[in-house]
Amino acid sequence: MEWFWPEGFYTIVMVGVFAVASFAFKQPIAVALAIAAIIGALVSGNGVPIDHLIEGSFGYLDTILIIFCAMIFMKTVQHIGLMESVAAWMIRKFRVLPFRLTMGITVLLMIPGMITGSSSAAVLTAGAIVTPTLLKLGVPPVKAAAAIALAAIYGMIAPPINIPAMIIGGGIDMPYVGFGIPLLICTVPLAIFTGMLLIFPSLKQHAAEVGPGTDDSELEEELTRMSRVPLTVRLMLPFFVLVVLLGGERLFPQYAPSLGMPLAFLLAAASGLLVGRDWKPFEAATEAIQAALPVAGILVGVGMFIQIMTMTGVRGFFVVSALALPAWLLYVGIATSLPLFGAVSAYGSATVLGVPFLLALLGRDEIVVGAALSLIAGLGDLMPPTALAGLFAAQVVGVKNYFSVLKVCLLPAVVTAIWGIMIILGANWL
Amino acid sequence: MFEKRYLGSRFTASLMLVAAIAITAVSGLSYMKMREPGPDIDRVVPHAGFEHKRLSDWFEGLAGTPADTDIYVQEGAEPGGTVLILGGTHANEPAGVIAAVVMLEQADVKRGRLMIAPYANPMARTHTFPQDAHPQTFSFRTPNGVTRAFRYGARITNPVNEWPNPDIYIHPESGQTMAGIERSNLNRAHPGVADGGATERLAYGFMELIKQEKVDLAIDLHEASPEYPVVDALVAHERAMELAAMVTMELEFEGVPIRLEPSPKNLRGLNHREWGDNADVLAVLLETCNASAGRFRGRTDEALILTGEDKAYEKAAGLGRLYVPWESFDKRFEERVARHVTTVRLLADNLEFVREGKGVTVEGLPAYQELSDLGVGAFLSD
Repeated sequence: MEWFWPEGFYTIVMVGVFAVASFAFKQPIAVALAIAAIIGALVSGNGVPIDHLIEGSFGYLDTILIIFCAMIFMKTVQHIGLMESVAAWMIRKFRVLPFRLTMGITVLLMIPGMITGSSSAAVLTAGAIVTPTLLKLGVPPVKAAAAIALAAIYGMIAPPINIPAMIIGGGIDMPYVGFGIPLLICTVPLAIFTGMLLIFPSLKQHAAEVGPGTDDSELEEELTRMSRVPLTVRLMLPFFVLVVLLGGERLFPQYAPSLGMPLAFLLAAASGLLVGRDWKPFEAATEAIQAALPVAGILVGVGMFIQIMTMTGVRGFFVVSALALPAWLLYVGIATSLPLFGAVSAYGSATVLGVPFLLALLGRDEIVVGAALSLIAGLGDLMPPTALAGLFAAQVVGVKNYFSVLKVCLLPAVVTAIWGIMIILGANWL
Repeated sequence: MFEKRYLGSRFTASLMLVAAIAITAVSGLSYMKMREPGPDIDRVVPHAGFEHKRLSDWFEGLAGTPADTDIYVQEGAEPGGTVLILGGTHANEPAGVIAAVVMLEQADVKRGRLMIAPYANPMARTHTFPQDAHPQTFSFRTPNGVTRAFRYGARITNPVNEWPNPDIYIHPESGQTMAGIERSNLNRAHPGVADGGATERLAYGFMELIKQEKVDLAIDLHEASPEYPVVDALVAHERAMELAAMVTMELEFEGVPIRLEPSPKNLRGLNHREWGDNADVLAVLLETCNASAGRFRGRTDEALILTGEDKAYEKAAGLGRLYVPWESFDKRFEERVARHVTTVRLLADNLEFVREGKGVTVEGLPAYQELSDLGVGAFLSD
């Protein structure tokens, strides 16, 4: 009881108020989080600390800017006709080669995450580009969204750029060196497994259906409509600009300027003015901000919530309770609490729990353990309410209820967590 | 995704705008207090003999910028070596800052030269870090009842001075990659870049000072979380290892156990590595135990900063997650400051043994037990 009181009570109050506000009073998640934070502060005797609430929300300022600008980029490539044109090309070229198409799509989905270290960026760029292909070839929308979210997360964890691993390593002064192979071991088998589980069966079935003699005139008509703007190297300009700006900074930092992801996305979007269909930039930007606003709001609410959790001791209560699991449950604790805390953000999970878990596992190869912990922390990007990768994937595909996507993600997520734990257990042999 | 039912009218939009402006004004005023804190916050009263300088006296590129910081210099009557002390490289490690202030207010240099930068990264003192929920200030009372208040800042430079950070920070000297936020961490930016970012320029300023003044011993005062392996420790560059070993033994004799750690060769940007590699200086870094910046901490307030008492840490200790014997361990602020001051005194005292003719003698510094018993306020001027 001494351990529970009062922080455990504050936890129940904050989580309870959030649940009541969002489920009973149907408030948006962002508003429910803000209300829960305010009530938590009041109950713990801190009044309504406006400066703390605002300060907490600023923890995600950079992320919010990236989301807004990435969304403007995504709307741009939609408006100029690039997305549909790429999808039509891919369908024509690979629809009878389901395995190659599955692997190709998986790699394509992972690349932006590998370069930027951000699953959201991967979903909003490559995810948006492959979505029409997946849907046209018969992949059910929830499976398409799940495949995009998971591949984006594996991309975020795969080398060369893995920010959660950098954060975890930084916590014990371990440089981000030598992570390449362990991170490939962490991610490549999972990416193949997930692609084969979620994408391949539908593509295989479609390939069987379009064998010689079958009538696919309807699809052909649709493909013709989709490729009204011919796919040329020039049409790909916004994508090339983005790859050069983001990739250049990371792969050739000595030569390429550091513009930051928001500016890189905006410049790439601006290059869309030179190619494709005529489009209205203001309209695209308005659509983008409207689409991204709820997620941005959630991040603001989560920031307030964490600040008050920290102020009242709820954060420490949660973290130490996770560590208090009996030794034989430590691995279960890692596999569950890291993704659960990722409801805040994968980076937050890596910071708050990843470092203590790495410290608890000292004695094993720290680089391999750090890589595996970053993989498990990455699953946090599927966890509501923030669920950055999951929510954006659902949005890109057009699935309204994210929980249906989450259900499909469950099996690959469990396999991911088990794979991560196996890597930790075998760290010294890898 | 954007549901129509959330769309309002012009009236609701105006109402929200007014509310946003009001909230911005209230919170903005609070944050401005950190940037312009008033004359009584962070005030120092240097001991007689200290000369006030600015880091820009050694590197002009800092003049007029928010990175420029105070350096206090006192020269003894007898010639000797030069010792440089930094507090506040990380402004959320307050015992390091206050130990530097105590030495600034008490030190009477008899031999050699003492240089103190109490607020090494002034840009880290003007904000608290989002989601860390730290109080803006903490304070002590002097024997005459005067309150001496100090800002509790952040580990990194204020984004107002350096933003946005890249996603990946490439340490310029070595090409080593780190998380982007480390660009604003003074203790990852050494030896610095003359025309780099604000924090890199600040690091460059310290490197210039060390080179131009031929500093013999440079000491950076830090604090670490109790769950961090390098806590209550002395980290030394390989050339400073002999001196550090002597001091470690003397501290053990005085009943102040301390770990001795070598400066990692493959972790770049840290001052003990870069200062030692780039100049003829003995570079060391000291860590005490600070629960208020730790990951396991419970309720975050001024009491946690000053007492170190925390039930979350107590439980974590019971689980064997800490690198300090928590229950028997003195984590009070005064003990942490006493540990820093005593270690610095012993390093200065022993400098002569490793650098002949370069000894530095400082009198007036409070003894370990004295500081631990009487508290920090007793050694701050009114």
